[in-house]
Amino acid sequence: MATSRGAGTVTRATFKTDFVIAAVVGFLVLFPGTWARAADKPLSEADKTCLACHSLERLEKKLANKETLSLHVQGDAFAKSVHGVIGCAGCHADVNIKSHPAKTKKITDVREYSIASTEVCRGCHADKFKQYEGSIHASLVRDGNPAAPVCTDCHGPHAVSPKAVYETMAAVPCKTCHVAIFNAYAGSMHGKARSKPGESAAPLCSECHSAHEVAVASAGEGRKGACLGCHAGALGAHQKWLPNAELHFDVVSCPVCHAPTAQRRVDLRLYDSVAQKQVSELKGVPQFESRARSADVQGKGLDAMALWNLLKAFNREGMEGKTTLRGRMEVRTGAEAHQLADKTKAISDCNICHREGADAFQSVTVSIAGPDGRPVRYGANKEVLNSVISVDSVGGFYAIGATRIKLLDILFLLSLFSGIAVPVGHLTAKWAFRRYLNGAQAAKASESATDRGRPLPGDRPGGHGSK
Amino acid sequence: MERIYVHPLPVRLWHWVNAVGFVVMIVTGIQIRYVGLIDMMSFRTAVNLHNWTGFLLIGNFFIWLLFYLFSDKIKAYHPELSPTKHFRASFRQLQYYGYGIFRGDPNPHHVSVYRKFNPMQSMLYQVMMMLIVPVQFYTGILLWDVKRFSGAVDMLGGVRVVDTVHVLIFIFFTSYILIHAYLGTLGHTPTAHFKEMFTGYVEVETEHGRKQPH
Repeated sequence: MATSRGAGTVTRATFKTDFVIAAVVGFLVLFPGTWARAADKPLSEADKTCLACHSLERLEKKLANKETLSLHVQGDAFAKSVHGVIGCAGCHADVNIKSHPAKTKKITDVREYSIASTEVCRGCHADKFKQYEGSIHASLVRDGNPAAPVCTDCHGPHAVSPKAVYETMAAVPCKTCHVAIFNAYAGSMHGKARSKPGESAAPLCSECHSAHEVAVASAGEGRKGACLGCHAGALGAHQKWLPNAELHFDVVSCPVCHAPTAQRRVDLRLYDSVAQKQVSELKGVPQFESRARSADVQGKGLDAMALWNLLKAFNREGMEGKTTLRGRMEVRTGAEAHQLADKTKAISDCNICHREGADAFQSVTVSIAGPDGRPVRYGANKEVLNSVISVDSVGGFYAIGATRIKLLDILFLLSLFSGIAVPVGHLTAKWAFRRYLNGAQAAKASESATDRGRPLPGDRPGGHGSK
Repeated sequence: MERIYVHPLPVRLWHWVNAVGFVVMIVTGIQIRYVGLIDMMSFRTAVNLHNWTGFLLIGNFFIWLLFYLFSDKIKAYHPELSPTKHFRASFRQLQYYGYGIFRGDPNPHHVSVYRKFNPMQSMLYQVMMMLIVPVQFYTGILLWDVKRFSGAVDMLGGVRVVDTVHVLIFIFFTSYILIHAYLGTLGHTPTAHFKEMFTGYVEVETEHGRKQPH
């Protein structure tokens, strides 16, 4: 995506565009009431001239790649849009009505045209555009993802609505692509609350994810900051009943407990202990997946030894101990992360997660932050959480009870057994000895008595005295 | 037969608080570790009880430490500096428990005010009170609030490492406390040592007596 203009390339056309935009912006700033009246304002004669052709539904252009670019504009919708006030020339300042349609203007494909057109949006909405440029959406566009949205995908090219319209359940543009997530949200306590007439306190998409600076939701601590933005007293409330509440807040994502029907997993993230951040895959030099594959000899997911080897590969000579693993418990899909229930239904029973075989620990992934921030995952066997090898490799993640090391259980049983066996064995030996000694003593006494009854030659009368 | 005052009140208090406390720690520890398999109490109750008892035991440890630091009774813990002498005496003691006691042999160790521990006890208790118990307290505190002590936890290799050390010592104490209680019955009567730890007085053998403390 071309997101910057080349220096020193101010042509007459761009100058004209900038001039018109500056004039329109200046007008709107000086006369802010104009915004409110925009919807009511009739189209100018110049706009009507444009619409004379562009209101035709079949008006389209065949592109070089044989795609068809629709040139149709709904006049009513445009007149009612927030851009109605700036007219067609506000965005299409490069069009010269005398030579239009320009025969020299070449559009390769629709997508490329949409991406190039974002430059026009940037002209007025530089702040929002800057936010967008830092988003995962823009990152995906740069990577050539054809589904990643540009300005017009969310706002529509000729029917840009006021901000308030996008902040409604009916018109929020996010649901166009994120259907499953939106449906999950709509069924959540947030979605239900937002659907109530006059209710706007419950968050819609942009309140948690922001409208333009959309970040990777599964990176870092996810949207915890957004949750705590509204639920500022959450930590204090949890500390009243939840031991190690701060640790839980760090390691467990909010939906893990607050979306009780969601499936959970443990994500072991490669962490740079020197830079104090998650290890990122460098663009163009992917190492994680190839290293994971070579460590996973059997191809059945990383076992404890393979995980240890993978970590060793990231801690080569001179970098020992630099890369560690930090675990985080999260829900498996974005849709599940939005199935937030009423807090009375949230998981608060410690046994659900801390018992052996808990659902949350049946699925394990190892991940690294991809070049665009999205995690790149590789599957691991659940046994990695219970292996003695993990004391070294997964030192940074431990859930009491659920991820306990099997070898320690065996040692505990041996200890308990020896604690009982030693006294019992000692008592038995003591009893057996006493019995033996008593028997020997009785035999000796009996022998003495027999001897007394049948004196041997040479015996003196009276015999041996008893001991 | 003679009665000598061997266990002063602070030591006896420390001992019994320790004894009850360690049993509580082991029981709640088992409940915490084996939640789902054992259901003596709720996980949260077990954690809270474990934490509070842990702090009580740490305080109790300082009763012991301060008493001995400011008392000449600390001689009881002074190590035998000659290894040959120490191991010979330990072997004699081991031989007594492993064989001599069955035959009714006399205990080779003779209790006095400043030598209340037999050679095996003196070695074990030094290691235990100066190393094992403090390490258990330290790891316990780190696990009590992992976030607050995250610097120390990370320096030691992570929460799993700290927990493993804590659990290994718990495993040791599980068999220790059972065997310790049993050895307590091996006095001249089965209850003699228990009574000593309540009254402070130990009955020792005189020239004409036959009674033997272990």
